[in-house]
Amino acid sequence: MNARTTGIVAVVLGLVALHYTLRPILDWRAGIDFLVVAVLVVAVRVRPGTAAAAGFLIGLVADALTPEAFGAGALAGTMVGYAASRLKSAFFVDDVRLNAIFVFVGKMAFDVVFLLAERRLTGAPLLAQLFVWTPLAALVTAAVGLVVMALVRPTLERRRA
Amino acid sequence: MPRGARTDSRADTAIAIACAALSFLLLILPAGPRATIAATIRSSLVSPLATLQQRASLARRAFVEHDSLVRVADSVVMRSQRLDAVEAENGRLRGLLGLGRALRTGFIPAEALVGRGMGDDFTLVLSVGSRAGVERLSAVVAADGLVGIVETVDATTSVVITWPHPDFRVSATSADGSAFGIVSAHQAPGAEGYLLELRGVPYRTPLRAGTPIIASGLGGVFPRGILIGTVMQELATTAGWTRTYLVRPAVRPPDVTSVLILSPERNADGLDGIWPIGTDSARKVP
Repeated sequence: MNARTTGIVAVVLGLVALHYTLRPILDWRAGIDFLVVAVLVVAVRVRPGTAAAAGFLIGLVADALTPEAFGAGALAGTMVGYAASRLKSAFFVDDVRLNAIFVFVGKMAFDVVFLLAERRLTGAPLLAQLFVWTPLAALVTAAVGLVVMALVRPTLERRRA
Repeated sequence: MPRGARTDSRADTAIAIACAALSFLLLILPAGPRATIAATIRSSLVSPLATLQQRASLARRAFVEHDSLVRVADSVVMRSQRLDAVEAENGRLRGLLGLGRALRTGFIPAEALVGRGMGDDFTLVLSVGSRAGVERLSAVVAADGLVGIVETVDATTSVVITWPHPDFRVSATSADGSAFGIVSAHQAPGAEGYLLELRGVPYRTPLRAGTPIIASGLGGVFPRGILIGTVMQELATTAGWTRTYLVRPAVRPPDVTSVLILSPERNADGLDGIWPIGTDSARKVP
């Protein structure tokens, strides 16, 4: 495992840890999704296949703690990871707005796939989740994702160089 | 597109499709196997994360509930403090009821008016006056013993000088009647100012610490038998053939809320046996 891979793994582990420590402490209705940020951080630095596998594993971790939706997080992670990695050339530039949109869309896509796959919510609750809470959570996640990317980019780029 | 890049792209797509297919498989699995797989992952790879999540949730709950817990604790403390005061007051009232039952007649119950200002450490204002039959120079007692003497009487109130007053004097004797003297406030700074002195005790009758001191009945103001306090120690004085003792008062003026005013007619009868004074506690140095 080279230094760059080690760096990415460390960042992902840190984000996963934050997801299970800071997120329960904050306990916001529209919470920060550190797992989606982790998937995107990985996706923009690896091949689409690896990104899909990483998204699958990270989603599986989330599913293990929410057994009712077991598999939905893995599916959402796979799709978001693969798509983000495919689109990285279009989004992963030094433009803050594009990066924010990248994380926002990633979180939206993750939640849409997750909610449709788990089939727990239907009707008005599903619409409220999709059109109220998911966009709010995506906004918060985008803000945090920007900070995370700004923090990790210099380190990971330096290791790549 | 170069051949190698096309192969990589196909491999990426194949991995993604495999992951998606696996996810679908997990989604459509029956509940039993799904739960088993989830439990296996939870108990192995995700176990530390589950612990982290649980601790974070507990930390949040502790943080959120901290204020309410502090409020509850404060309320409990406040109630328990109030309960102590109520229990003490209850005890005093029960004692006073017992004293009234023992006296039977010849007394007027009264309440000490609270909210006395500074500088009124030596006096008490009582809630009864001449209309209730209170007379000047009547003895005032509580369940624990002597409080003071009525100094002035109005129609509806009366003022009592309590034993710490510099002018207060009472003729006293040891419970066994072996030693007589005059009790007055101990003129000392600080907390010792709230003690009494028994002066003029004959040199030949020394008293031990713990000896009860009661009113002797001499002088006609205080009936014999009212408990004044207990001997603490002998004071070194320059008086020739008499001894002076420091006496711990039976009554603390700040605790006085309800009292009985003894009518002067009661003086002749005396109050021996009203206050529980063990005869064995009235000791004399052999």
